[in-house]
Amino acid sequence: MDNSKMFLYWGSGSGPCWKAMISLAEKGLWEGCPNKMISFSNKEHKTDEVFTLNPRGQVPTFRDGDVVVNESDAILMYLEENYSKDGNRLLPTSGPERAQVYQRMFEAQNVQTNIIKELVVYHWRTKPEDRDDKIVKERMEKAKVELGYWEKALNGHAYMVGNNFTLADVAVYPFLAFLMRMGASFREFPALLKYYEAITKRPSVQATWPPHWKEGTTDPILGEL
Amino acid sequence: MRVSYIRSLGTFTLLKVQHNSYRSTINLKAQIRTQAMSNQQMFLWWGSGSCPCWKPMIVLAEKGLWKGLPNKLISFDEEEYRCSDILAINPRGQVPTFKDGELVVNESNAICMYLEEKYSTAENRLLPETPEQRSTVYWKIFEASNVEIKVLDALAYYFYYTKKEDRNDEVIKEKVATAKTELSHWEKALTGKSYLVGDNFTLADVCFYPYIAFLVRLGASLKDYPALRKYYDTITARPSVQATWPPHWREGPTAENHLAAL
Repeated sequence: MDNSKMFLYWGSGSGPCWKAMISLAEKGLWEGCPNKMISFSNKEHKTDEVFTLNPRGQVPTFRDGDVVVNESDAILMYLEENYSKDGNRLLPTSGPERAQVYQRMFEAQNVQTNIIKELVVYHWRTKPEDRDDKIVKERMEKAKVELGYWEKALNGHAYMVGNNFTLADVAVYPFLAFLMRMGASFREFPALLKYYEAITKRPSVQATWPPHWKEGTTDPILGEL
Repeated sequence: MRVSYIRSLGTFTLLKVQHNSYRSTINLKAQIRTQAMSNQQMFLWWGSGSCPCWKPMIVLAEKGLWKGLPNKLISFDEEEYRCSDILAINPRGQVPTFKDGELVVNESNAICMYLEEKYSTAENRLLPETPEQRSTVYWKIFEASNVEIKVLDALAYYFYYTKKEDRNDEVIKEKVATAKTELSHWEKALTGKSYLVGDNFTLADVCFYPYIAFLVRLGASLKDYPALRKYYDTITARPSVQATWPPHWREGPTAENHLAAL
């Protein structure tokens, strides 16, 4: 399995990028994969180099030879369909679990929409004097409801679907890790905490850990979660 | 092989097949019978005009599974999406909520993938088989969410949720500009093409078209986007789209022409 014709543009800490990277690592394709880590603050995702492959100037942007695939879930499907072998499959080949993995994979976006966008992005883009405590309080409650769905979905198991690490975990884990990075402790969500800790230890996750997260901690915006 | 309709016999249709092989007649009847019968253990909860619901409904219709499918049209106004039947299998209390026998599959894209994988025949595939075209279809399926976020959520829902007296012209102007940029992107992608990917209707179109139809419903004329307008007209005429057209849209136009600027 050869990654020499691949190229991935990615940003450190970006959930969608991390999904693609974990998948590559699970297939043994991350090591030596041609790639470029772009700087969001320097707007390197809005350069011609990225625009050539992705008119939206977003990451992840991915190429495998002449095939260009953007959108993180599309990259996951492409890698799964073209680079899987027994031992590294992330999608059950048949049966009800396959459909369940699809459901959780696409459901994962809710963590971005209902928590990250509503609380973290809100915090970053709103001047301190304009931040509304009432809005934040309401959104924290909704965030807890969202985490409650995932706590319930896990039902004390090791993985989101069945007994193996699947694309369902690839899709949701990076967002959960981002919440932890932003100060969440998951003290009201014990199954989710245990899950986070276990998946964090996975080699593919360690191999693709956001570089700047190793440099130190950040503002604990989500301390209440 | 030429097929002509003779008459309906309950759950399956007798077709005259002009072909030398008796076996192929039997196989065709068996296939049609299987198709006609295999939606009875399904159930779909859906809402009229909901794009996420419309996507799997189009797929079901494309597979010949929409007709006779057990389903319930829920009312958004009465918050029926939080009824106990739905909550029992979808804690989020959202539609579409779907089951096929004992298997529950929620999330519109997951239902589409499930149906595509389980119920496709050579004639009704919605996913190309070559890796490059296939991955492009996947790319477009997920990229379509930008229309939802940048046009519907950002602009249409701003009008829904903001009282007239609180609406800010500058904010609207900015949102209209973002929406137009988004539509320009798809105009470019569709120029000179009948479908989003390749020469056939695929899941990319299934996942994109409903949002365009929704924009048109809310007053968008798409006059600045001729390729998009042509695409809208073409796909609208498709039997699976007509068969699943939001019922309340047939009752008359809406008063809420929030997207007339598009």
